[in-house]
Amino acid sequence: MEEILKAALDETLAHGAIYAEIRFQSDVSESVLMKNGISEVTDYSQIRGISVRALVRNSLGFSATNLCTKRAACKAARKAITIAHAASRLTSPGVSMDNTEINQARFEVKPEIPSRDIDLTSKIELLSEGYKAARDSAEQKGVKLSGCVLRINLLETEKIIINSDGGEIHSSIPRIALSTFLSVSEARRGTTQRFLHLGETSGWEAEEKWNLPLLLSEETYTLAGTLLEARKSPSEKMDIVLGPEVVGLVCHESCGHPSEADRILGREAAQAGETYLKPDSAGRRIGSPLVSVVDDPTIPHSFGFYLYDEEGVKSRKRFLMRKGVIEEFLHNRETATIFEVKSNGSSRAAAYGYEPIIRMANTFLEPGDYSREELIEDVKKGVYIKNFMEWNIDDRRYHQRYVGLEAYKIKDGVLGERVRNPVLEITTEGFWSSVDAVGDDLQFQAAYCGKGDPMQGIPVWTGGPHIRLRGVRIGGTLL
Amino acid sequence: MRMEEIPSFLISNGKKEGATDIAVKFEENDETMIRFSNNEITVTKNWREKEVEIFVIAEKGRAETRTGILSTQNLRELIKRLVNTARTSPPAEVYAPLPTGPFEYDYSRLEPSKGAVPPERLIGYVKKAIDSAREAGAEKVAGSLTFSIYKISVQTSGGVYAKEQGTNLEVSVRAFSSELASGHSVSIAREEEGFDPALAGRQAGEIADKALNPMEGQPGRYDVLLGPLVFADLISQLGERASAFLIDAGQSFLADKIGSQIASKELTLHDDPILKGSYGLRIFDDEGVPTRRNTIVEKGKLKTYLHNSTTAKKSGVETTGNAGLLVPTPWNLVIEPGNKKIEDILSTIDRGIYITNSWYLRYQDYSKGDFSTIPRDGMFLIRNGELTNPVRNLRISDNILRIFRNTARISRERQWIKWWEVETPTLTPHALVTDLNLSKSTI
Repeated sequence: MEEILKAALDETLAHGAIYAEIRFQSDVSESVLMKNGISEVTDYSQIRGISVRALVRNSLGFSATNLCTKRAACKAARKAITIAHAASRLTSPGVSMDNTEINQARFEVKPEIPSRDIDLTSKIELLSEGYKAARDSAEQKGVKLSGCVLRINLLETEKIIINSDGGEIHSSIPRIALSTFLSVSEARRGTTQRFLHLGETSGWEAEEKWNLPLLLSEETYTLAGTLLEARKSPSEKMDIVLGPEVVGLVCHESCGHPSEADRILGREAAQAGETYLKPDSAGRRIGSPLVSVVDDPTIPHSFGFYLYDEEGVKSRKRFLMRKGVIEEFLHNRETATIFEVKSNGSSRAAAYGYEPIIRMANTFLEPGDYSREELIEDVKKGVYIKNFMEWNIDDRRYHQRYVGLEAYKIKDGVLGERVRNPVLEITTEGFWSSVDAVGDDLQFQAAYCGKGDPMQGIPVWTGGPHIRLRGVRIGGTLL
Repeated sequence: MRMEEIPSFLISNGKKEGATDIAVKFEENDETMIRFSNNEITVTKNWREKEVEIFVIAEKGRAETRTGILSTQNLRELIKRLVNTARTSPPAEVYAPLPTGPFEYDYSRLEPSKGAVPPERLIGYVKKAIDSAREAGAEKVAGSLTFSIYKISVQTSGGVYAKEQGTNLEVSVRAFSSELASGHSVSIAREEEGFDPALAGRQAGEIADKALNPMEGQPGRYDVLLGPLVFADLISQLGERASAFLIDAGQSFLADKIGSQIASKELTLHDDPILKGSYGLRIFDDEGVPTRRNTIVEKGKLKTYLHNSTTAKKSGVETTGNAGLLVPTPWNLVIEPGNKKIEDILSTIDRGIYITNSWYLRYQDYSKGDFSTIPRDGMFLIRNGELTNPVRNLRISDNILRIFRNTARISRERQWIKWWEVETPTLTPHALVTDLNLSKSTI
């Protein structure tokens, strides 16, 4: 394969590219899907191919083929050059790659238990046990499990990337992901629903840690409690304690996405949108001094794990917001040149056929030193929102809405009755400025983050500890 | 092995391994995309790919695969693995044999393709979109333009063989007249003749120009005129959530509502994949069944879910020709036009808001249909039948069925919509929705 990639690189340079990058990527996945306790289908897919990215006369061309031959790769190289040339009349001078250190490296994550060693029957049985545990749990609470969709996805990704600046990265990564959808119903109370996603860079050993039957039993029991017991949410200004699942999402949406340098430059304006941050926003205060949001691709076993990005730049932890102040944007080599900084290794592609663009990896709020109990005990009147179902944010990443799922009233420092769907509709600065205490219990959730055109879903973790917001308005239920 | 021999090879080998049913979909694409922002092209991309999808039933268990590795050795090993996987899987809830052909297809609906459009001409289209938006008042313009040539064939163990080929063009244009004032429009077509990037650019630019200096919107209930981009987003939900698979999974607000009045009598929605010349034309589904026009909603009444042969058997009905081998999907949504012009509908609104686009639609509960989505691009107050001040920072927070029931008027004019937020091509009018809840951030 290296020989084919080298030939494509030579072809690209021979036809006038001033920078070129050739990537082979193979994603082999097995996915088992179960709906309402019945095995729907097992999917085994082989997605592999070669892509070429070339810079010609200030114009970037990208070409991909899933025919992994020297001839096809060289043809793709020429195509990237041709289309970049054609577009060069509508580009402007100055497009270049920064001079950050480009690496030759190899990284590999070896699973303790390779997922391919687990037979299909065991995987199906696991989902079946999970379903039965959820169903029994629902029955125990006197409700019906009216919908249950479980999918376990096992992925092996191999990459070889070479570029004209001497970079050469070989990597091999296994991933495991579990997505669950639960819906419980009761004749008088209607339905309540929940999505839950887990994912790691590891083999089957992650599943053993998750303990799916116990997880689904507990989640369903809690969901049924929400359905049966939750009362109308208060609608007034009060204190709020948020769980790690909500905090991680807020970090991702209102701090991670806005910090993507390509978005700041308007590159996503017609798709994933823009941002409230400007090229000169570093140093701007967004939140209280207690909040620091980081993105760190190097966390072992994390869903967004990588050590070198698609441009051969070494990855590292980035402080997007430190003590409430915007500090660093996420860069690839092209945007780093424009911003006159060094790339911090944020260039990622979802599969061989996708252009590498700036992505988050594992975005989270740095933990503080409060226990969850301490956060709650200092609230006279408030709401604790543990997790969510509905959410969204405007395309400038400033106005967001999170609708709680499992949530409770807090009175005089004690958790009280469940409340139904408390709505937090708030600006980014309003949110981060209201944080007055940060918990010590950092937790992560897995997600596939969408961006780019065509849309690329890339594995990430979102995370954070419990936090407390003072004096924010909780809205009522809908309608 | 030659490409056209692959499906027969897979079916033959699959049967030898013990499969009862095999469907093979072969796709070949040559696609070019040009992305642009700040009035310039940022990247030009091309994909040339051949890929096969195989679906197998063995002992009533099911398995599927997708691969671009088309060597004889790989395909032989793959089909063996797939049949073993299906055999190892527990039997599906319902065993529906793949439909038995041969079928007759109306190939006359597929006009001969005029073939490739050279990159230089595609660049010219991008320039037209940008220039038109700027002439209409925009300062900066972003978007993407895509041209694809595709071939699809489906061959099954049921004696079915179908193939089609064609081209598709689409452009999505977002224009900005200031940081906080923008407009968006699209143009999609099967051939260059129906493709109008200049019009899309002009429409986006005009909205952006009108949206200059927006004031803060006030939350509340309004009569709201929804433009085609935002109404298509909602209607595509109606089309997609009509999938019988999602009904069964508890992920649809349409469960148990066949025959019910789910929308106002103004609303009639078809899935029409046989509409000649349209972007979403498809003459057979993934089981090789000839597609047809299905009326999903007729004068507000829910008429059918969308089925493949498996979901149809479970429900005791015929397939609607919407396979997805696992999840039935709509192909090409068409809303029946109303009898009023947009300006006539506008003139009936005393106090309201006009929303031109939205994104990020998320449900609180699929079965109830409580959701929210956020307007982006131009949004305007309506006073005494006329557009007045641009406003910003409001969110549609309501129930999707309530919105369809409160759809009081549908315009005569319609536009084809497909973009980043709306995946299914949808022929969409403007719509007046009464008493729509708009919320906003509190601090």
